[in-house]
This record gives sequence, C-alpha cells and structure tokens, in this order.
Amino acid sequence: MDIEKILQQFDVDINKATNCDELIEIRQNYLGKSGHLSQVMRMMKDIAPSERKSFGEKVNNAKDRVESLLRTKKEELEKLAIENELKNAKIVDLTVPCSENVGSLHPITIVQERIVEIFKSMGFSVEDGDEIETEYNNFESVNVPKNHPARDMQDTFYLDNGELLKTQTSAGQNKIMRKYGAPLRVIFPGRCFRNEELDASHENTFFQVEGMMIDENISISNLIYFMKTMLSNVFGKNVEVRLRPGFFPFVEPGFELDCSCPYCGGHGCNVCKHSGWIELCPCGMIHPKVLEMGGIDTDKYQGFAFGLGLSRLTMMTFDIDDIRKLNSGELKTLKQVKVK
Amino acid sequence: MYISLNWIKDFVDLDGIDPNKLINQFTLSCAEVEGMEEKGKNLSGVVVGKILSVENHPNSHKLHLLKVDVGNKVLDIVCGAPNVRVGLVVPVAVEGANVCGTIISKAKVGGYDSYGMCCSASELGISADNSGLMELDDTFIIGKDIKEQLEIEDIVFEVDNKSLTNRPDMWGHYGIAREIAAITGRKLKRLPVCDISQYDNLPSCDIKVTSKSCYRYCGMKVENITKVHSPYNMQIRLFYAGMRGINLLADLTNYLMLELGQPMHAFDGAKVDKIVVRDIDKDTMFTTLDDTERLLPKGTMVIDNGDEISAIAGVMGGLDSEIETGTNSLFLESANFDGTKVRKTATSLGLRTEASARYEKMLDPNMCDLAIARFVYLLKQIDSNIKVVSKCTDVYVKKYPHIDIEITKQFIDKYVGIDIPTKQIVDILKSLEFGVNVNGDKMTVSVPSFRATKDISCRPDIVEEITRVYGYDKITPKSTLEPVEPVKQNNDIIYDYDVKYALATRYNMSEVHTYIWYDNATNNLLNIDAKSYVHIINGISKDNNDIRSSMVPSLLKVLYDNQKTYRDVGVFEIGHVAVGLDQNKNVVEEKHLGIVLGSKDNDTQSLLLKVKDAVLYLFDYVITQKISLKVADRQNEYEHPVNYYDILLNNEVVGHIGTVHPNVVKAFDKGWSISFAEINMNKIYEYDRQFAKFEKVSKFPTTTLDFNLVLENGRHFSEIESVANGLDTDLKYHFSLVDVYDNVENNTKSYTIRFLVTSHTHTLSSTEIEKFHTLVINSFAKNNISLKA
Repeated sequence: MDIEKILQQFDVDINKATNCDELIEIRQNYLGKSGHLSQVMRMMKDIAPSERKSFGEKVNNAKDRVESLLRTKKEELEKLAIENELKNAKIVDLTVPCSENVGSLHPITIVQERIVEIFKSMGFSVEDGDEIETEYNNFESVNVPKNHPARDMQDTFYLDNGELLKTQTSAGQNKIMRKYGAPLRVIFPGRCFRNEELDASHENTFFQVEGMMIDENISISNLIYFMKTMLSNVFGKNVEVRLRPGFFPFVEPGFELDCSCPYCGGHGCNVCKHSGWIELCPCGMIHPKVLEMGGIDTDKYQGFAFGLGLSRLTMMTFDIDDIRKLNSGELKTLKQVKVK
Repeated sequence: MYISLNWIKDFVDLDGIDPNKLINQFTLSCAEVEGMEEKGKNLSGVVVGKILSVENHPNSHKLHLLKVDVGNKVLDIVCGAPNVRVGLVVPVAVEGANVCGTIISKAKVGGYDSYGMCCSASELGISADNSGLMELDDTFIIGKDIKEQLEIEDIVFEVDNKSLTNRPDMWGHYGIAREIAAITGRKLKRLPVCDISQYDNLPSCDIKVTSKSCYRYCGMKVENITKVHSPYNMQIRLFYAGMRGINLLADLTNYLMLELGQPMHAFDGAKVDKIVVRDIDKDTMFTTLDDTERLLPKGTMVIDNGDEISAIAGVMGGLDSEIETGTNSLFLESANFDGTKVRKTATSLGLRTEASARYEKMLDPNMCDLAIARFVYLLKQIDSNIKVVSKCTDVYVKKYPHIDIEITKQFIDKYVGIDIPTKQIVDILKSLEFGVNVNGDKMTVSVPSFRATKDISCRPDIVEEITRVYGYDKITPKSTLEPVEPVKQNNDIIYDYDVKYALATRYNMSEVHTYIWYDNATNNLLNIDAKSYVHIINGISKDNNDIRSSMVPSLLKVLYDNQKTYRDVGVFEIGHVAVGLDQNKNVVEEKHLGIVLGSKDNDTQSLLLKVKDAVLYLFDYVITQKISLKVADRQNEYEHPVNYYDILLNNEVVGHIGTVHPNVVKAFDKGWSISFAEINMNKIYEYDRQFAKFEKVSKFPTTTLDFNLVLENGRHFSEIESVANGLDTDLKYHFSLVDVYDNVENNTKSYTIRFLVTSHTHTLSSTEIEKFHTLVINSFAKNNISLKA
C-alpha cells in the first residue's frame, strides 16, 4: 500500500475521532503489530537494497508523523473532556448544614484544663481529691478548730457517718503535704459544697482550684508573681493584681487578690461592677500551724496557698449569667460549649 | 458596719486628706469598704425658724397656717404637722431649698400660699422620725443655715463585717481611727475619759461571777440623771451608723459601743442593786426587751439581779430592766464574755445583736473599765448634775496572757521577698500601738491587749501588720530561684480529660455535672430504687439527702429532663460516688464514669453497641488495654435483667454496660430507648499509659478465607471469637466479622467470618492454605459451631 494513501486515510480517521478510546484504536490500526504502517515496513525485504534506506526513512517519517498527530489529538481531546466535565459538574451545596449532633465538654472542664496546663508548664503537679472528707481534713488541719467562727461562716453539709461534704478545696492540703512533703508545687481542683440557697450567683455545689507552693524561700513576692502569671495566662492578656487584707484561718497573712478587669482593662464595666477590679482569689502565706500539721518543718520551709473560684471564672469566661446553669444538665445551654 | 468620718475626725486630724483616697487606702490596708455615702449633700437652703403664730386652716383640721420667723423675714407657711405650736423652733426649708432631692418653691396648699416648708428630722435625712416637726432647742440661731448648726454633712462608709471577723479591735470608731492614723501617718488622739479612780472611795456594787464564760465584769452606779435626750449631733451619728435614738442612757450605751466596740448595758438603777453572772441550771422562759418571750436553754449565761434574770449575757437585756425614758438612776454594765459562748447562745436563740456580733469576735477585756470612764465623761458633758454613787466595781476573772513575739529582720525579708528598712518596720508597728524593742537584727514585739485575744500570735501575724501598712502594692512580683525539676503527673486528671475529650469529640456526647446526692423525687418517678450508703443530715430537702452510689440515676434524670428537646441524647459525667463504708465507718469513695444514651430514633441494640464501641475505644485510647464483656447479673432492680454485662479488664470487673428495666423506660415519653455504661475510673488510673507495639507486616501475599458460621439464638459471638483466637497454627492470621444474618425462620444467626492468612517467611502453598481451612472447620466443629450448609 502507498504510504501517502495511508497517511491520507490516517488524517481522515483522526479527524473523525471524538474520544481517547478511538485514538487507541486508530493507533492500533496504524502502528500496531498488524497496523498499516507496520505492514508497509514488512515490505522492506522486497525493496531493492539501494532504495531500502530512503524507503526506511519514509516509513519512519510517516510513523513519527502519526505519533505526533496522535499525541496532539490526544491532548486536544483530553482538554475537551475536562471542559465538558466542568461544564456538567455537579454543584455541591456547602451551605446545607452538617449534622448538628455534636458533643460538648462542660465549661468547667475547659477552664480547668486551661488552668491545669498553665500550672503544669510552671512545674506544678496536679492532684485529685475526694468530695467526702473528714472534719479533720476540712477544718482542724487547716487551722479551723471546733468552735471557730469560720465554721459558722460556711454552711456545711454533714453526713450521718460523721464525715462531711468538703466545703473548700483546702480540705486537700493536709493529705497532700503528708503525701509529698516539701518542697512542693501542686494544684488541686475540686468540687465543694455549701448549704446555700440557690440563686443566680449562689450554688450549693461549685468548683475551686487550690494551689500550694512550699520551699525554703517562698515569699509574698513570689505569690504575687505566680498569681499574676496564672491570671494573665487564663485571660490571655496581661493583667495587674493587687492584694488586700483578707482573713482565712489557714493563711497568715491572708489576702483577697483582685485582678484588674480583663474585660474593660480596668476602666469599669458590668463584670467588675464598675470598680475596675475583680475579686478572684483568696490567698496567703500558709499558716505555720497548717504546715506543722502537714508534717512540714517550719524552721526550714514556708509557702503560699491560694483558692481560685473556678465556677466564677468559668462564668466570666463563657459569659454565663446564672451559676445554676452549670449543674442544670440543660443540654440547650451546655451543648453551646464546643470542645476547645 | 457604718463609719462616720466626722466621728473619726474626733480622733485623727484628716485635714488635707481626700476622703476617696483615704477609703481606697483603707480597703487596701485594713478591710473591705462596701460603699460610701456623702450625707447632707442633697440638703441646702434649710434654716432655723421660729413659729410666731398658728391659725387653724378654715377647710382642713389637719393643716395650719403659720407665720414663721426665718431671721430676715417672716414667712407664711401652710403646715400639716401635728406638733405645731407657737414658739417652736424648727428647721425651715425656704424657697429654693433642696430637701433631699425635693426643691421647695412657693405653692398653694389648701387654697393658701405657702412660702416654705417646716421639716421633720426624717425629711432632713438625719433620723427615721417622721412623726412631726423636728423640735430644736433655744441654743439654735434663728435664720442661720441648719447645716452650720448641726453635723449633718458627713461622709459615711460601710465596712464589710465579714472582713472584720478576726479584728475585734475594729468594731468601733476608735479602732478604725487607729488604723486610719497608721495608714495616713497621722497621730491618734487619746480618748477623752473621766478619771474614775476619784470614785474609788465610794461603796462597791454587789457583783458576783459564777459563770466560767464571764472574763470580766465592771459595774458602776449613777444617780440624779436629769436629762432625757441625747444631744442632736449624737443622735445624728447614731442614725448614720444605723441605729436610732431612744433616750439619753440607751443612746449613750449605743454610742460607746459604736465608738469603742465595747457593748454596755444600762440597767434601771431602781430595779438592779445586785448582779450575779451565772449559767442557768435549767431551761427558763425569759422576755427580752424586744418584747419577745424566749426559751433559754440550760447552760445559758445570764445576768441575774438576785431575784430574777435581767439580761442574756452579751446578747440582749430583759424587758423588765429596760431603761425607761425619765429614769434617773442607772446601773452601768461593761463586761467581757467568752466569744464562743455568746455566739452559741445568739445562734441557738436566733438572736444576733450588735452586742453579740462584737462579743463573738473576742473583745479585749481591758476595754471594760475604759468604756465606763468614757461613758461617765460623756454623761457629765451632757448632764453636769449627775452623781456617781459607787466605785467602778471590777471583777476581773480571766486575763488573756500578754504576748511577746521575737522576730528578725531576716525573717521578715524572707517572708515578704523585699527589703523593708528596720526604721520603717518599727514605725509601722508603733503606729499600731505595738511595743517594739530592737536589739541588732532581733526585735521583740509586744502585742497590745486589743490585738492579743486571738488575732496576733505568731511571726507571720507581725509580717502582716508591717506589710499591709507598708503597702502590698510596693511588693514587686518575683519568680522563685528554686530549681525546676520535671514533675511526675498523676494519671487521674490526665485520664479524666482524655476520656471526656474522646466522648465529646468522637461520640458526640455532652458532658454534664449532676449533684452528688440523688434526686429521689425523680428516682421515684422513674421507678429507680437506688442504693445509698451515707446520707446528709442537713440537706436541702428530704428528697436530696442520699449520697449516690452510682452515676446512672443522676444521668437518667438528665435524659428525662431533656427528653422534650431532643430525639437523641448522649450524656456523660465523671463524678464521685460513695460505694460503701469501711470498717471505720468512713465512706469508700470512687470516681465513676457514667454514660447514658437515649434515642427515639435508634433501638436499644444499636444504643448498646454504640456504648460498647465508646467503652472499647476509651480503654484502648487512654490506657492501651483490651477489655472483654461478659453477661452478668444486674446489681440493681432498675437495670435490665437480661441485657447487663460486666466490663472485664485483665479479669477484673471495672464496670458495666447495659440497659434499663422496662419499668424505667415506661416512665419516659413513648418511643425512647436507653442504654448506659458505668466505669470505675479508679481502676483505670492504676494503669500507666503504654505505647502500642508495632506488629511486623509480612511482605508475602495474604490469602483471604471466608466462613459462614451458625449459632442458635441465645449463644454469643464470643464463642466464635474465642475459637478463632485460639487456632493451633504457625501461620500468621487475623480474623474479622464481616456480616451477621438473622435467620428468623429457624431461630439462628449466621456470622460471616473473614480470615486473612499469611506467613513471615514464604508465600503460602495451596496445601498450606487447604490445611488452614480444614483447621478452622474442625476447630469450630469441635466447639459445636457449625458451618452454614
């Protein structure tokens, strides 16, 4: 067969092709083992030796041309195919909502975890505690002896076996000092109970985070530093702290620690009741009697302790205006809190 | 407690000090101030006037037409007060006056023009008395502004009583003045008193103390009291401090209490000529001066006049011995009682008074005679005719020990973290009336009696005194120089968070917090009879006294409360439970994870499988441990008798998975299915987290073999699992369940099990595969598990 004719036929074929599958068939027809050009090649043996060279060149040129046209046509068809695909692409509507059944962590958990992480990063360990405590741990061991007015200040839930529901995380101090001794850096979050009438700002079941740092040279100046650092990290911005005298039997001196209002920068807003300060954290230097009862050598060691109102901090963080929501089990409220 | 700055100024010169700054400084150094009020600010244009004539109003028998002399003119005023009379001197608000916010202008009253208003003390804001016009005496200058003649202008601030719990010395103005003197660096003036030693020659009063709770009792008799009312300015101070004027003697005792913090009692001298302080030996009825009959329990400390009880010691006097207006003789009591005793009495009677509130703080007994000396001083100023008829009789039974505290500069510096100069330390302590003896770096600090009853006893107490006056704001924050070492963290808090995070993010459950006590009202509603091993004595209600032993009832309540809002609920909580009492009767407390799932769209089986999936994942994710489930007997009536499983971790029961009894389900709205799990977290904390070890992956081809196995209903898949797990072969294999088919017609289930078989050393030959196939079939057959035909 004549190479020219073959190529003419090839041009016809390739122009008719509309997809890549047809191109494969065309390639087979021309370049395959029994394709037209392969058959021509096999005629080589019948050609005069003197013409073999130019014949061979002719066939190879024809092959190259076929290859090249096939390649071009293929690219063209693929491009066309993508264009067609895009033209007919199915539109996915992402404005349709996803499943709304997502889980939630309790807001207390989220704020507690944040505080735990901050203190861990400063070399504190984290200790868990019981909710049912002995009178000794809750009162005597933190320098609140029987008949002390401080026992009147809090309405304690007493149990019929003689124990009580802990009224303060300080109930953990004695056990922890006895367990680890000094030096000691520890925080212990926990749930506390006081027999109070419920209203928007009072709950009988609430959370605190207690902390202690005991070493040879721990001072009031260190206490201020750690409280300021912690609160600045909790609120995610630098806050000022100030101490005021406060009376708590387990510390001496005892302080009320105020934090400059992180919401208004101290200019005054509803959160800080327009005072610029938020009372957040009773604290102080641990009373020598408390250290002694915890088995700590007071000639060598001293330290500070603080109690942070975790429920209150959580309410501030999430702008919750009613503390009762925290224990309500009301999922409409709680499910709004997304995990971290 | 309300503090009048005028009163404070009697003892400290506050000239040039901004009251706002002072009060702020007081908050930072002494005690919390809750609020501040500028008294008399809203009062202007009120002068003293004299009623010249009174005519009846023609159309009203209440109103009168007055002519009132206000100095520069005579005004026509229509007045409705009952006590109008000619010659009366009264406060008159003239046109343009501001009377606590009301601007006075010319007005028609009952048809007549009125050019001002005669005022009651209440209208001036200096008394609660609104019964009639305030009656002024002849010493007032007609026409002159009343604010120039009475101490109406004052700044009153309220100190939070709670912040004074440990400060008995600050329960009176003089004690507050001492603090203010210290923080302003001004001098505290001595309290003017009468030298009562001049009466030492007079007869003693008959005072006997038998109660151990009376530490000191001072008594004195005064006669020939001619004045009835206390001075106007004294009444204003009492009113600003929250009390009301009664009569001269009652007002004076109150004034002393507000000034020194020392409660006093004025008995009618005619009714009391003997005093016995005793604890009553039997329950006794007694009528207090608020005209209330009360049952005093045996042991209550009372003041007895020899015939009958006159007062509950430290709390309140009796109606019978009350000073009446016009009494001209007085027995004055100034005593010190044990704070605990007074507090208990006041609490048990539900009668907390200004006196008991002070006594319970442990007052300084040294104030007793001082208060009497001050009382007599003030009484004489008011009524020069009085006659003291006894000496100040002093029964001083129990003295507090004098306290000296040794302290060094080094201790103070180390405790505070900054260097406070010795001179400043000494100055501060002296300003607070501490004695200081410096010897090199050592100091001996002598505690004044009014701080020594309970407040100050050790070195840190002294540090507090120094630093609070020095200024906490001058202490610079510093990190520690202590070495930082890696801290071994406990598993519990970490695992708790991991568990919560997994359940919330992977299983879409919501974490809730529930109370540690059951809500028995809900439990009854849900037919839950829950176990409780310990109970609150003074709980919030009888339905909320039982401490929970399981998390499940609490979470079922949450499900119940949310059933109207959602069709699918998954809640969990890690909470504390009391699972019993030990041999010492102490509570055995555990932390349990409770999970409750409820759904109107999914059936019980799928809920149970979802709980199982979550539980398996938790153990794998948190502690890298595998668990197994085993059918078990339920532990509570409200659990399901059939669908109840133990969770086994290394052969130990660590929790349960199950569903609830139909009696519980039926209490919910129609269509709810429920499942639950409860896990003892304490068991999990025992396991340290492991790293999962990698399994070697074979590089040779894997062969897949499927088997269809049949079990009669009632048999468990775990039978198949345990056979499949225990095949006796050297080949490496895994298996999985790929399908379950329920053959309803013949009460069986068929399970499609897929084995993936390979070797670490070579490609398996067909003989080997054939052999494995036979092994599987034989192993199941041996255990009575047949292949599907």
